[in-house]
Amino acid sequence: MRSRSLRRPETLVPLSSVAIMVVAFALIPAYTDSAIAPFDVYNTFQIFARLGLLALALGLTMIAGEFDLSVVGTYALGGMLAVQTGQEHWVYGLLAALAAGAVIGLVQGGVIAGLKLPSMPVTLATYITLLGLTSALSGGLTKTYSNASVTLWVDQTVLTFFSPRSLLTLGLFLLAAVVLSFTRWGRELRAIGGDRRASQVAGVRVDRLIVGTFMLSGMLSALGGSLLSFSLGSANPDPGVQPLIVAAAAALLGGLSLAGGRGNALGLLGGIMAVALLAEIVTVAALPGYVTQLFFAGLLGVIVVIDAPDLHRALVRQRTRLRPEGNPTSMLSRKRELS
Amino acid sequence: MNNLLSAPARPEASVPEPARRRSRTEVVVTVIVVLAVLAAIVAGLSTHRFATIANAKAIITSASLVGIAALGLTLITIGGSAVSLAISPSVAAVGMIFLSAQSLGLVPALVLALACGILITGLQGAVVGYAAANPVLLTIATSFAIAGLATGISGGETVSPTGTGYDRLNATPGGVALSVYALVVLALILEWTLRRTAFGRTLYLIGENRRAAWAAGLPVGRTTAVAWFAAGALFAVTAAFTAAFNTSANVNLGGTLTFDAIAAVLAGGTPISGGRGSALRTLAGAVLIAAVSDILLLRGYSTGVQIMVKGLIVLLVVILVHLRAKGRNA
Repeated sequence: MRSRSLRRPETLVPLSSVAIMVVAFALIPAYTDSAIAPFDVYNTFQIFARLGLLALALGLTMIAGEFDLSVVGTYALGGMLAVQTGQEHWVYGLLAALAAGAVIGLVQGGVIAGLKLPSMPVTLATYITLLGLTSALSGGLTKTYSNASVTLWVDQTVLTFFSPRSLLTLGLFLLAAVVLSFTRWGRELRAIGGDRRASQVAGVRVDRLIVGTFMLSGMLSALGGSLLSFSLGSANPDPGVQPLIVAAAAALLGGLSLAGGRGNALGLLGGIMAVALLAEIVTVAALPGYVTQLFFAGLLGVIVVIDAPDLHRALVRQRTRLRPEGNPTSMLSRKRELS
Repeated sequence: MNNLLSAPARPEASVPEPARRRSRTEVVVTVIVVLAVLAAIVAGLSTHRFATIANAKAIITSASLVGIAALGLTLITIGGSAVSLAISPSVAAVGMIFLSAQSLGLVPALVLALACGILITGLQGAVVGYAAANPVLLTIATSFAIAGLATGISGGETVSPTGTGYDRLNATPGGVALSVYALVVLALILEWTLRRTAFGRTLYLIGENRRAAWAAGLPVGRTTAVAWFAAGALFAVTAAFTAAFNTSANVNLGGTLTFDAIAAVLAGGTPISGGRGSALRTLAGAVLIAAVSDILLLRGYSTGVQIMVKGLIVLLVVILVHLRAKGRNA
């Protein structure tokens, strides 16, 4: 049985990326003037909390063979709803955000599963719609959250390195890891990502699973947005594309594949920790904003190019010096890699 | 061996619909389209100052800038590379280059802008074409990189023109902006290229079925890269007109152009999966989106509502185009 083998990409990629980033993190004193303080670790977990739920939401849809571009829209809307409806009590804000996330996921999942539409154009349209809706709700302005006790509570230091926000995010990751590894739902999720038709024939209720996954993805993104708003004490109507870039990079570093059917929550946790460590290193090194921007863009760009299916084929062709039309073996090897 | 036997996933071709239901789907789609058009006409006519010549000019002028970029995106979409999400930053970067090169004269500045536009977008196209990288994720990454580079090089400052040659792009021969003429001419050239040249036919085939095109020995990588080259040139034309219109350029010059161009292409009925669509459809889509934005603007709705309505139109059209294609295929 190969399933526990370290050489599988969903184990190898996150492990090596975390290892590289931990080494780079430990070497911070070598290339900056500052030593590593416990605060740096705390801050790494804060960055993790900021993007973890978004990456988990995106990752779940990627495992199912879909791609939910709208997560950033839901993230923005959730953050805005949490601030605007949660001024009296944070529970109302959180509930409103979660409900909105669930409804968005229900609609998207229903359209994608019911009409057999590809998820990319649907979630792109939803993303545009949600950005517009968030901007319309706030009048295009950043809204402040006046309940300062909530802001202080979610970011207070717990056990030196953590905050309630990062502990909650970690807890959800562990829950997702257990569910994905040990329940039927987790196995079925990978099955529909790997080969949808075969899993349908095998009796998986594909449509229900897709709707459920999108609802979960919507709720996780909305929760991530709400927690961020509570922590910042404000909500921004347009978070830009950076959260999506970082979440996608984290998911791919976490051993997930754009083709679907591959990955687990612990690998995803590794991917997002690697990205959080990188973000903290960049912060400690005090690079200008645009350099950070280039760093993350370059990271995602490199991963996407490495993940590109025809690149392997072209490399094999180069190595074997065969003409494209006479090379069925490379196609086979590519298919085997994907499965 | 399991892999040899499993058929490629084609969910849209899995279950043939019964004939009666197919016709019902077609009727529903047609009814929805007619109702939507009627609603748009009613909304337009009941809006104060909508049905005037001045407003019509405003609509086609605003459609022209989005439309030229959307023509470029049409090539990308037809070729099966979905969409580029890096249109706004590319246009901003090229617009900044165009204005800062004004001291060289209008024509050299235009040539430089075109070269930069082709380089920026063409590089992405080469990666998408030859390596089959995921275009959406790749262009998200490059949008961030281009914006970062532009900020770094310009220091976040607004670029002012170094000459006055650009002003000739703001000419209004016959009372209509020059960009409108450019849009119409470019749309006709593109339509002819797509229908009548080997490049155009190859592009449709690649968009329809990349693997079949590859197996047939067609130059998949090169054709895709050329489509992105042309798209980059069209983005550069948009950039020149937009920068000339604003008489200054910064990293936010592109505004919501990415979404506007996507909305125009999809509202024209070009499916995002590729293999179908035309330049003239995109032209119609751009005018439709501009008209709807204009109605919302005249009625005093905020930018947020305008973006939201664009998103809903895209969602509706994506669903309708898909339903109609399914009805036909069955």
